[in-house]
Amino acid sequence: MGKANPLMPQTVTVLDITTETPDVKTLRVAGKEGIPFDFMPGQCAMLSVPPVGEAIFSITSSPHCRDCLEFSIKRVGDVSGVLHELVSGRQLGIRGPYGNGFPVDEMKGKDLLFIGGGIGLAPLRSLIGYCFANREEYGHIDIVYGARSPADLVRKSEIGETWPEQPDSTVYLTVDAEFPDWSGHVGFVPSYVSELAFTPENRIAVTCGPPIMIKFVLQALEKLNFAPEHVITTLEMRMKCGVGKCGRCNLGSVYVCKDGPVFSLAQLNELPSEY
Amino acid sequence: MKKLLLKEKWPELWALLAHEGPLYLPVEEGSVVLYQLWQEGVKVNLEAVNSTVSPKDIFLPREETYLRYSCQGEMLDLEDVESDEPIIAFALHPCDLKAIEMIDRVFLNQDPPDALYKKRRENTTVVALACRQPDPYCFCGVFGIDPTDAPGADVMAYLTEKGLLLEEQTAKGKILLEKAAPLLEVEADETNITVDVKTQDFGLQVEGLPEDLQERFNDPVWDDLFRSCLGCGICTYVCPTCYCFDVEDYGHEEGGERFRCWDSCMFGHFTQMAGGHNPRPSRKERVRQRFMHKLCYYPETYGEIACVGCGRCLRSCPVNLDIVQAIKALGGEKVG
Amino acid sequence: MEEQISEQTVKVKKAVSQDLLGGRIDLLLGWEKGHYWWQSRPLFARSEKDLERLVWDSFCAVNLSRYLQDELKENKKIGVLVKGCDARAFNRLLQDRIVERERVILYGLPCPGMLDYARLTEEGGSDLEGIIEQDGTVILQTKEENKEMPREELLLARCRNCMHPDPVVYDQMLFTPLGDRERPEHFKAVEELERLSADERYTYWEKELSRCLRCYACRQVCPYCSCLECFVEQKSPRWQGRAYQPSENFMFHLVRAYHGTGRCIDCGECERVCPVGIPLMELNRKLIKDINELYGHYEAGLDPEQEPPLLTYRPDDPAAFSEK
Ligand SMILES: Cc1cc2nc3c(=O)[nH]c(=O)nc-3n(C[C@H](O)[C@H](O)[C@H](O)COP(=O)(O)OP(=O)(O)OC[C@H]3O[C@@H](n4cnc5c(N)ncnc54)[C@H](O)[C@@H]3O)c2cc1C
Ligand code: SF4
Ligand code: SF4
Ligand code: SF4
Ligand code: SF4
Ligand code: FES
Repeated sequence: MGKANPLMPQTVTVLDITTETPDVKTLRVAGKEGIPFDFMPGQCAMLSVPPVGEAIFSITSSPHCRDCLEFSIKRVGDVSGVLHELVSGRQLGIRGPYGNGFPVDEMKGKDLLFIGGGIGLAPLRSLIGYCFANREEYGHIDIVYGARSPADLVRKSEIGETWPEQPDSTVYLTVDAEFPDWSGHVGFVPSYVSELAFTPENRIAVTCGPPIMIKFVLQALEKLNFAPEHVITTLEMRMKCGVGKCGRCNLGSVYVCKDGPVFSLAQLNELPSEY
Repeated sequence: MKKLLLKEKWPELWALLAHEGPLYLPVEEGSVVLYQLWQEGVKVNLEAVNSTVSPKDIFLPREETYLRYSCQGEMLDLEDVESDEPIIAFALHPCDLKAIEMIDRVFLNQDPPDALYKKRRENTTVVALACRQPDPYCFCGVFGIDPTDAPGADVMAYLTEKGLLLEEQTAKGKILLEKAAPLLEVEADETNITVDVKTQDFGLQVEGLPEDLQERFNDPVWDDLFRSCLGCGICTYVCPTCYCFDVEDYGHEEGGERFRCWDSCMFGHFTQMAGGHNPRPSRKERVRQRFMHKLCYYPETYGEIACVGCGRCLRSCPVNLDIVQAIKALGGEKVG
Repeated sequence: MEEQISEQTVKVKKAVSQDLLGGRIDLLLGWEKGHYWWQSRPLFARSEKDLERLVWDSFCAVNLSRYLQDELKENKKIGVLVKGCDARAFNRLLQDRIVERERVILYGLPCPGMLDYARLTEEGGSDLEGIIEQDGTVILQTKEENKEMPREELLLARCRNCMHPDPVVYDQMLFTPLGDRERPEHFKAVEELERLSADERYTYWEKELSRCLRCYACRQVCPYCSCLECFVEQKSPRWQGRAYQPSENFMFHLVRAYHGTGRCIDCGECERVCPVGIPLMELNRKLIKDINELYGHYEAGLDPEQEPPLLTYRPDDPAAFSEK
């Protein structure tokens, strides 16, 4: 049976853990020969620490990084809590990759608008890394990213230094309220998107973040005349198997773990709004 | 050709088959009948039509351990738990076999196949038992199931006055009957086989219902249908076509196991997410999910309603919020 | 079986329709027939048309007051039909501050006991076609011949043990009260278990509970299990695991039973709904019996003013359990 059992994890080792924000840490993990499996941006993996259990997380590193997988994990419960306590050298279980991933081929030749909030940067970061690694395939890249406070912005060196330096790309940062150490934009992500007035022509928008932010970002994009086919988002549901069997992550006959978590707004409009 | 196993030789057959591997058959325990492992002294009941809980747990056990872990310092060791035992599932009724075919589509035919389920399916020889007299709860006819025929079985069995008539349908079935050969009579008495068994239909008319329901996620029916629901898991646990599961660890830091176990879409925590959000926050959404899955979502993917009319939810739901009530409320009735 | 609208049903309808149609209540919790003559299921009546379906017969076993917890969130005032046990369940909810008395109108139904379909088919065969009730007896109509039996012998187990068939709390009593009953066999099963050794008892319960599906129907119908969050679902600490192991079976059933000590109203709903026939009342009655022996006779749900024994403290309370 061995590897054939899709519920059976393999082991990987924690390379290091960095603290991103008060409740988010990034784990870098690797198997004996680097990444335990190939994947595409937007796909996820089940991480497990017995006897606490398993939980699903987006792979935040780019597929081009072959020596390790990265996960940015927000502490909300049991598994995320124990993952935060791990130290480098410790082994944990992993299985995956799960989900459909972003439509990187359909996005080719287009200008891209990435809109993220808080921990929602995790899946976007993998995609952003992928697009930068294949820079010539894509048009102009805009990244709008926000969090509650400056302290809640993850990946500060990338958003502050690496990405703005990439050719033909712009990074817009915002935080929800005024902070003494913050001289950048202040305001919620959706209104920043409206303010920046992105044009829909030849542009695909991809947004990930807390449900409430996504809701308003979608409204903002609609106002800016983005066609539903050109707006892409990811959904979060409670997941146990990741392979479309355990039955809890469906929207109608669609299983978010297998058929998602990436959907276009056009697809979502066709599904029961049970998320 | 059918072969006869005289009533008085049944226990000998059980003992012989149980020697080969786990033998599951309908066992009576007080007021309930459950498919259980045969052992000396259990009360086998072949007259019962539908067991209290469906025999799906032969293939999808209530609880199934699939890995053992041990952890020493930094090292984590994960080990597969496999079982290769040949299983015999005895006296499954045609509706329950049809239900297994429905689970097969999800667990075998959808990529990736479920290895645990696949193994059990492959390792199991199924002896189906034709129904002679349906239970008052049976309505398999509504879904076009013939209660005297189970095409998916390895051996087909029929109850007669004298005993059990057995007929092989597959190579696996042939092997099983060869093992049983010493106990079987050559002269088969076929006079008592009932082939024309009719179940009731409650006036149901389900053609077109799945398509109709695709537009009815927000139908006002859902605002009231759920009210009597208690929010227990009986309906999903007794049902042969329900297959949802959970995964959990059992053990301590140094060692233990991971298992999967039955779960139910009728429970609130089934979809409970971190941060307090629940996409199905009340019984309304959960009742809708259960019935929509059976009557709309499953057929959308696989072309058939995921109910075999076994009647278990009609028998066991304490408030009779069963599939027939749902179908009727949704308009799946014959007109006139 | 020919549907018989009994005189009693007519009278119940009349009583409640005045209040429902007159706007005194927004919702009436009653029963209607299910698919079979032996099933009556909850009816949520809001209109005259709904009320046409109302029945009061020998199969109205479901305790409707259990729905008040949720329905009071959506309705201002609710009418409920209550049998003896249902009324005690209502008192339980009242005492646990789950319902407000003034938002509920209780229609009291003195209850002759509900019939048990399992018993009926045991006596009349699985192809039983119907029954006819004549005061105190039931005629079982089988394909071949009719069989007459005392009604008492065909009741649900819980009704055979019921001592208070008349509602103890009500706004309107719809029929003549039947009077309390003696039930000398009430603790018989418990006494038999008490005679076993600890090991034998363990084996007994391990086997019985091994059938438990953890469907939680017993908890969902239970009038004392009205907790907004049950220990079963609590996350930290995590009390209840999902494994179908003896330890987890005992965890659920023993903790639940302890939560019901001095609070269980002896209605037997849990045992009635259990799909796999686990004798849950043997566990509950054991605790009722212990409470009686330790703290004096107490029947939960009879009087909402009387504090449950485990919620009160007296310096001379016995503490036999801590002395061993
Ligand atoms: C596709 C996808 C991608 C994701 N990517 C990321 C990511 O990149 N980073 C990230 O941080 N998160 C991500 N998440 C979210 C992450 O999966 C959850 O935060 C995680 O599962 C929480 O697990 P936990 O064990 O820490 O929480 P749990 O301990 O499981 O608890 C979380 C909450 O769930 C509820 N709950 C859980 N079990 C029960 C139960 N048995 N009964 C009742 N309530 C229960 C409780 O409300 C609890 O507060 C993603 C989720 C999905 C679906
Ligand atoms: S429909 Fe019936 S069996 Fe199912 S959860 Fe509701 S009350 Fe329980
Ligand atoms: S829904 Fe009810 S009748 Fe249909 S298969 Fe499931 S238990 Fe049987
Ligand atoms: S078992 Fe205990 S915690 Fe759970 S609902 Fe009942 S009384 Fe409350
Ligand atoms: S109703 Fe019966 S099977 Fe269900 S949880 Fe209670 S004891 Fe277990
Ligand atoms: S997580 Fe199991 S079906 Fe999607």
